[in-house]
Order: sequence, then C-alpha cells, then structure tokens
Amino acid sequence: MNTNGYKIRTHGLSLSYGSKLALNNVSLDVKPNHVTALIGPSGCGKSTFLRALNRMNDLIEDARTSGEVLVDNINVYREDVDVVELRKKVGMIFQRSNPFPKSIYDNVAYGPRINSVHDTKRLDEVVESSLKRAALWDEVKDDLTKSGLALSGGQQQRLCIARALAVNPEVLLMDEPASALDPIATAKIEELIYELKSNFTIVIVTHNMQQAARVSDYTAFFYLGKIIEFNETKTIFTSPKEKQTEDYVTGRFG
Amino acid sequence: MPRHFELELDQLRTMLIRMGSLVEEQIDFAVKAMTESDVALARLVIERDKKVDEFDNAIDQHCMRVFALAQPVAIDLRLLMAALKINNELERIGDIAVNLAERVEPLLPYSDFVKKTPLREMATAAREMVKHSIDSFVNNDPELAKEILISDDAIDSFDRETFNFMIKKMKESRDNIEPASHMMIVSRHIERLADHATNIAEDVIFLVNAKIIKHHAYAPDSQ
Repeated sequence: MNTNGYKIRTHGLSLSYGSKLALNNVSLDVKPNHVTALIGPSGCGKSTFLRALNRMNDLIEDARTSGEVLVDNINVYREDVDVVELRKKVGMIFQRSNPFPKSIYDNVAYGPRINSVHDTKRLDEVVESSLKRAALWDEVKDDLTKSGLALSGGQQQRLCIARALAVNPEVLLMDEPASALDPIATAKIEELIYELKSNFTIVIVTHNMQQAARVSDYTAFFYLGKIIEFNETKTIFTSPKEKQTEDYVTGRFG
Repeated sequence: MPRHFELELDQLRTMLIRMGSLVEEQIDFAVKAMTESDVALARLVIERDKKVDEFDNAIDQHCMRVFALAQPVAIDLRLLMAALKINNELERIGDIAVNLAERVEPLLPYSDFVKKTPLREMATAAREMVKHSIDSFVNNDPELAKEILISDDAIDSFDRETFNFMIKKMKESRDNIEPASHMMIVSRHIERLADHATNIAEDVIFLVNAKIIKHHAYAPDSQ
C-alpha cells in the first residue's frame, strides 16, 4: 500500500503503437477497495491504459511504454519486476470470456497448480472458495467435471473471475466484462463487482455509461489518450466540471 | 441522449415558460380584481386555474417519461429535477391567485378600505419577483436568480407593515375587523408569492450551477 493511500498510481504514462500515440502522459490514482471506471469513446485509450497496469501491452510487438505505473509504490515497469507475479497480483478479466477447454474444476485449479499447489484437499478448498466468491458455486457445485465451455456466457465469465481469484489477486482489471452478456447475466456480474470490492481493488473499462454509473465509485473520462476528467462517479454524472465530459455522459458527443 | 429526447427537453422548457406566463397573468388579474372590486375578473381567475392544473399534470407526466426512458444525467438530470420543482412552485402560485380572487366578493362592501391599504405596492413587488424568477429560468440566469433571493426581505417587511396597519385599524373601529382580517390574509398570500419566487430562483441556481443553496440566509454581498 502506498503511504498516501493509493493502490495504483500512474505518473506520466505514455504509450505508442508504432508511431500512433495511444496514451499521452496519463496520471491517475486508484483507491484501494473501490471501483474505478474508465469511460470514453472508441479509441480513447481506456483499454490500453487498463492493460498497461499489468503490462499486458508487453505482448503487443510495437507497443512502447514510458512513464511509471506504481502498484503498492513499486514501479511495475522496472527491469527486475516478475511479470508473471504481477499478473497474479493484478488479474484481468476480458470482454469475451475465455475459459480453458477443461472442466470447471480444472479451470479454477489451473493457476494454483502451476504455482505448485498439488494437495487435493487444498485444491478442493481453493476451487470451492473461488467459485463461491465469484457467485458461481451454487450453480455448478453438483458437477465440477463439466466442461467450462458448456456453461452459459454469464457463467463462463464468472468462471473466469473465479479463475483469477484462485491465485489471490489484489487488483482485478476488467475490460468490458459484461458487454457480451444479456441483462440478467450483466446484473449478476455487477452485483459481484459490488461484493468483491470490499476485498479487492477493481478497475473496469466500460462503454456502457449506465453501468459505470451503477457500479463504480470513481470515474475517469478518457479522450484521445488523455484523461479529461476524473472524479467521484456521482459528480461525473450529476455535475461534471468539463464540457467535454458533460457532452459525453449526456450522449451529445460527436 | 438521443435527439428526440433533446427535443422533449425543449418542449419541457416551453411548457414551463407558458405556465409561467399564465400564472403571472393570473396574479395580475387577481390583484386587479381585488383593488377594483371586479367580480367578473375574479371569476375568470378562478375558472382559469383549471388550465394551470392541466399544465401541472402535463409537465409531471413529461418529466416521468423522460426519466424512465432516457436515464438523463448531469445537466439534463438537473433540468428535469428543476422542472419538477418549478412546476410545483408555479402551481402553488396559481393557487394563491385563486385564493386572492376568492376574497374579492367578500371584500365588495369594503372597497374603500381595500383601496386605502398598501396592497397594490406589495402585490406589484411580489409579482415582479415572480416574473424575474421565471425570466431567470428562461434565460438560464443565476445572477438574476440571486437578486430575487435578496429582494424577499422587502416583501416580508411589507407584510409586517400591513399586519401592524390592520391591527391599528381594528383597534380604531369594530367595523374594520372583517375587512382587516381579510386583508391580513391577503397580505400573507402575497408574502407567500414572494417565497415561491425565491424557491424558483434557488431551483434555477441549482440547475445552472449544480449548487444547492436552499435554507440559507442571504446577505447582499454573499455568493
């Protein structure tokens, strides 16, 4: 934990894909145990920013990052940072759920197993607690051998969340986690986010402004690679300070 | 917000402006009916209150629809909230016009008495406040709204003066008791008019500046 109380701080974060500047000197402070939403039109840099927090952009060939991302006061872009450990601590949930072609049990147990947990009893405990924390246990407990791919879209997404939880993250990054889901499944994910935040720090990218309004405590409005406004969600949606922000949240953009 | 809802917000403003004009005129007519003992005009005011109620219902329905269907935020949300509150204040102002008009007939035998009271001046001042409060909404003018907040004190003074004047008149002669009682109530109604105008002004300040300033005391150089 940073002494000034933030879980993640970015300072002057910039990122280019080749010659295209996707993030332009972005500084943002993320409070622990709160939900921070990133909103903005397509191409504004919000997903790029999210991926920068656990160095997922390293996987993109021509991505060049400068500036700092401090997680618990340590710059994760330092040479000596173990990226695999980083991604356990700062987990990611994607827009399209991507369960492994394995059983429900093996999906969740995968992470612990590659971290050398082999004791069956211990694995059973981790699988059960992760599935419970992801609000999926009751729906799947009767047959954990069923394939993860046989679940509904909403269940698959919660399986992915359980999988991330199984390796004891502290931060969950969610990139439009409900955009492929129907309203009921979406409501379940949003409910889950609300429950999870007391134990985790959550950063969520969403193009659905009502969702940002419903689930988040803080909202950052991105445009053309910069943060135009960052404030408590209630302020962004009742009395934003910047005209651009107001135009965007009231749907008058473009 | 989709374009067709923006048009609905424009319609909402128009309805409020028209309702504002109507209640301003109702107040004008009611005061005129009282000071000139014009029973026909008083009856017109009472009859026309139906139209004020129609506006009230239409605006409430309109707001509910936009809330439900468009989920407005930021300035759109504040406009809808202000519209509901201002609607309510205008409807109350309309009711006051009716209350005043209903006093015309009982006061007919006392037209001289009525003419001697400072009613007209007080009513004019209150009516100006109502007019300016509606103008501040029409023009999105929080500065004008703030001026209204300050002028409420003068009306309160008028009301106290009228009250004391009526007490004096009642002490002078028992014959004055009935008209003086009516006039005290009339004065209180007009003082209420000014209160509603200040409420509208506060709602305009909330709408434009997103500041809630209700229930504060105002000094001329505050804010």
